[in-house]
Amino acid sequence: MTATPTKTPVSRPAPPAHKAAGGTRKRRGSKQSLAVWLFLLPAALLGLYFKFIPMFEGVRLSLFKVQPFLGDIFVGFENYAKVLGDQRFMEALGHTIFLGVTQTLGALLVGFVLALLLEGQARSLWFLRTAIFLPVVTALAVVGEIWRILYFPTADGPLNSILGWLGLGPLQFLNGTDTALWSIAVVGIWSGAPYNMVIILAGLTGVDRSLYESAGVDGATVWQRLRYITLPALRPSLVIVLTLAAIRSLRSFTEVYVLTGGGPAGSTEVWMTRMYSLGFQRNDIGVASAAAVLLLVVTLLLTVGTQYLAKRKADR
Amino acid sequence: MDSKIRFRARVAVALSIASAAALTGCGSGPSAPAATDDGQPIEVWARAGTDAATTYAAMFKEFTAKTGVKVNFQGVPDLDQQLQTRAASKKLPDIVINDSAALGNYTAQGYLQKIDRSSVTGSDRIADSLWKETEGLDGASYGVPFSRQTMVTMIRKDWREKLGLPVPKTLEDLAKLATAFATQDPDGNGQADTYGMVVPGSTERGYLGWWASSYIWQDGGSYLKDEGNGKYSSNASSPETQAGVSWVKQQFCTPGNTQPGALTAATSVASPFFQTGKAGIILTGPYNFSSFDKTPGKDVYEVIEAPKGSKDNTVLAEGENIYVTASNAKKDQTKQVIDYLVSQDGQKAGMTAGKQPIVRVPVNSDVDAAAVYNDPRWSVVQEALKSSSKAFPSAINFVPFRQAAAEALNKIVADCPADNVASGLQALDTAINDELNSQNAKS
Repeated sequence: MTATPTKTPVSRPAPPAHKAAGGTRKRRGSKQSLAVWLFLLPAALLGLYFKFIPMFEGVRLSLFKVQPFLGDIFVGFENYAKVLGDQRFMEALGHTIFLGVTQTLGALLVGFVLALLLEGQARSLWFLRTAIFLPVVTALAVVGEIWRILYFPTADGPLNSILGWLGLGPLQFLNGTDTALWSIAVVGIWSGAPYNMVIILAGLTGVDRSLYESAGVDGATVWQRLRYITLPALRPSLVIVLTLAAIRSLRSFTEVYVLTGGGPAGSTEVWMTRMYSLGFQRNDIGVASAAAVLLLVVTLLLTVGTQYLAKRKADR
Repeated sequence: MDSKIRFRARVAVALSIASAAALTGCGSGPSAPAATDDGQPIEVWARAGTDAATTYAAMFKEFTAKTGVKVNFQGVPDLDQQLQTRAASKKLPDIVINDSAALGNYTAQGYLQKIDRSSVTGSDRIADSLWKETEGLDGASYGVPFSRQTMVTMIRKDWREKLGLPVPKTLEDLAKLATAFATQDPDGNGQADTYGMVVPGSTERGYLGWWASSYIWQDGGSYLKDEGNGKYSSNASSPETQAGVSWVKQQFCTPGNTQPGALTAATSVASPFFQTGKAGIILTGPYNFSSFDKTPGKDVYEVIEAPKGSKDNTVLAEGENIYVTASNAKKDQTKQVIDYLVSQDGQKAGMTAGKQPIVRVPVNSDVDAAAVYNDPRWSVVQEALKSSSKAFPSAINFVPFRQAAAEALNKIVADCPADNVASGLQALDTAINDELNSQNAKS
């Protein structure tokens, strides 16, 4: 057991030896904390300059009619009113929520199944896991271009050829107003599931093997083992996966931008693409910033809400 | 943690916030900051990719050799975004060369200085109609014409001849040719894998509104009607515009007349259909000559005069202007740069000095495009520009109108069974009027 140094009251002088030892420790402590701060400083400064200041600048801009050269004009919450009163934004919100729910649940389910299938120490499994993880580390713009080719909407398109062998199709995929959003959701699931798989795999390693053996002895079915052992043990991992996936889905941009540009007929326009076209194609930075702040607020609420629900469930 | 250390850390964080905030510069003021001469070489920005930048670089090298005036040139592909960044720091580049359509946006943002037309040497060699396109809402010139071009129709000549069809003279002919290319196996490979027209039908950057404008004009319609004095009204729901949009919709809804995926294709996705021999008709700018001459090959495609609609064969004209920014205090150097760029030497250098012409059709009437390029196809472009072309209004910020048109048309053509042309254009009419009001340009 180590003795913790106690702070000597100012009124009572401490014995010299004690004082010397205490002083040395204190100096060492302050040097250590200074070192910690020095190590932290570069990252903190970078984060501050490239993340937090732009974020606050975005909040500021959302209250102005932005004219960088002439000087901004304060308009209060007018930009927010414009966003909330814009039918296109509301439609985009619907599409964003649809994509958020389908991609989050889809990627979670597929990631979970992949993790269960690929858990183990064999070299072949390691190779498979690496191969399946590739979509995560591939640039989304490249992924989008590849899927655009796969989705080619004629009978001789790669996916339509497969459907043709099954006596189905051809489908319009990205070119159909009813199918475009689903097609984008599939791309999101395909590129998001392996990431979830890795987190769930990490969670699975923490499950006590003896529980499975005991359950086996007691005659539990595979489903019961999943339901009563695996899933409860995975709760922390699932909370992380759900939170990250929900945030990622709300910020969907690249796949939509690359695959459809928001079309056809606006059927795949999401919050971020609408924001982008307002900010960078129409130069309406104020309204685009207001939309960005609203997205930030929703993301924050969603994150805090997910954490709160998970904590309450864990406490019960 | 030791309280002194904690205090120091807080001070450090506070100082870094303060310095970073100062660096990001959140100033605001009622008017453009005063221009000052920093003594550096004149800074010129142009929206240019790698190939175009080589031409600019060669052109300015020649200019410096002639005049001794040094130029700091930057080819910036995402010019408008970069300009916003520079605008925020209250120091724009001295000269910007960009689309003529950017004028309304730039004047609204206070980026530009007025141009005294009479001070430009050789201003009389530039057509009045081109100078007219550089006028802002107040009637003053805010740019100098530098280059112009029109959209041209290019057709797979070998396919057309193989099927024994004539050069299309009307929009009906063009539609029939597109159907023939899609259904009669013009490449002779025994498979139904060819299409009629290449269409960038995406809403991204307003592509569909841009592509369809020529066909709408050809039927006598338009998005906007110029009421004079910088005022406009919407013309989107007129019978003529409905006729033009109906023709466009017919192409999207006749299987094979447009390439697959046209509804979501930007030009970068659409053009390869023509290059790879999958589609036989494309309406595009002459800047594509150089790449199409390589594939599908110069001898297999032809450049034709635009087919006629029910009214005429108007095509979209576009171009680049030279803009002098509000930050520019280098009067003498600026004059020398402008005088050179619109001179015969400058225009010719812009056409031939690098990998890609940055002056497509010269604005200087003493320069003949077909002769300089030694290519009769440029005569088609030059002739169309002179007698049957129209530009989008540049005094107002046209970007939102093009975007609204693309979004409305994309909705109309995406739903083939629906009888939605009139209702869709009525919605566009409302959107255009709202935008005109917000730009204070409604008649």
